[in-house]
Amino acid sequence: MVRLSELPEYERQHLLAKNLPPLTPSAWRAPTKPLAQMRFALITTAGLHYRDADNFKFADASYRPLHVARDVNELVMSHSSVNFDRSGFIEDVNVVFPYDRFRELVKDGVIGGLSDVHYSFMGAGLLPQMYEASASQVAGMLMQDNVDAVFLTPV
Amino acid sequence: MGAIGYYLERAGIMTTGISLVRENTAALQPPRALWVPFPLGRPLGAPAQSEFQHRVIAAALDLLSAPRGPVMADFPEDAPGGEAGARVQACPVSFALADSSDVGWVSRLRSEVAQLADWYDLGQRRRGRTTFGLSGEQMEALVDYLGGLLDAPEGEVDLRRFKFALEDARTFYTEALTAQPGEHDPERVAQWVYGESELGRAIVALYQRFAGREETAQFARIVAPRQALGYSTGDEQLHTGSRDE
Repeated sequence: MVRLSELPEYERQHLLAKNLPPLTPSAWRAPTKPLAQMRFALITTAGLHYRDADNFKFADASYRPLHVARDVNELVMSHSSVNFDRSGFIEDVNVVFPYDRFRELVKDGVIGGLSDVHYSFMGAGLLPQMYEASASQVAGMLMQDNVDAVFLTPV
Repeated sequence: MGAIGYYLERAGIMTTGISLVRENTAALQPPRALWVPFPLGRPLGAPAQSEFQHRVIAAALDLLSAPRGPVMADFPEDAPGGEAGARVQACPVSFALADSSDVGWVSRLRSEVAQLADWYDLGQRRRGRTTFGLSGEQMEALVDYLGGLLDAPEGEVDLRRFKFALEDARTFYTEALTAQPGEHDPERVAQWVYGESELGRAIVALYQRFAGREETAQFARIVAPRQALGYSTGDEQLHTGSRDE
């Protein structure tokens, strides 16, 4: 898993139906500094948020800020899809949102720093173009926070 | 996921990350992606495996040094399955004890939840947290609500209330069934929930209720996983063509 050849035909067809062409024009930001000087943020499309934030709607291109001044173990998941495993996240938030691992990378000097605010989207049911406005907003806030690079996790 | 990476990169922020479905990522061509052969829902591979998670992250961070892109790489390791002795094999409760067809759904679900309550509490103590709480309701109220929809299936359903009630019920069961320390195979956990429990049967029954009406047929796809429908019917045609996440 997830090798399509190992999945039932209905599951294989379901996932292949989601193949979409590249967004254009192509986008590429070349590296300008070594990893050990880069400041990182984490973004997940797992539909995570704190309990007092609004749940994601069934199809929703909005985002939730994840402030790490709060305890990331309090995060919950309101992703609308029922077709992925949640038991890994239940056991260890880092399976989806590897905040502790990135803190360790900062401590070990592998990366230069970590933002205090990360972001969560819900990747479900919408075409990529629907995320343009909200992702561009998040990009602006990350730039303001001097973030150089983002680590992305889907579910 | 690929879309977010694209728009961030376009704004001047480098991105790298995980791909769970190689074919989708190869088609969309985000700037950088590491394909991993892990189950959907587990982009870092496995819980409580910090060294393994670090290897995944390191492989994704390596892509940031590529001089040009898009660049996609394959992670060479499967997710760790745990030592044989650490893998939890047995379901902590016997669901057959809760199954009695001469009482309604609410009674059967209440009985099952009572069986699971101590396991849920144990899981919460062991992990130091719970992911239950999307609905704002207690578990007992949730089973009365969900079971009530099947015992008295007339009337309109508030889909938003229903969805988060169902998600909390699923979470309660999953946390209870994985309360024991050790490695839990996600497929085995799904088998317990959807193949053996009364809640699993309720989810399939609710799916069928929504799927059978034109106005809620789309919604039905976020009620029961395709896997659950397979356990209940063996009919793969039920799933073909559905599209959600």
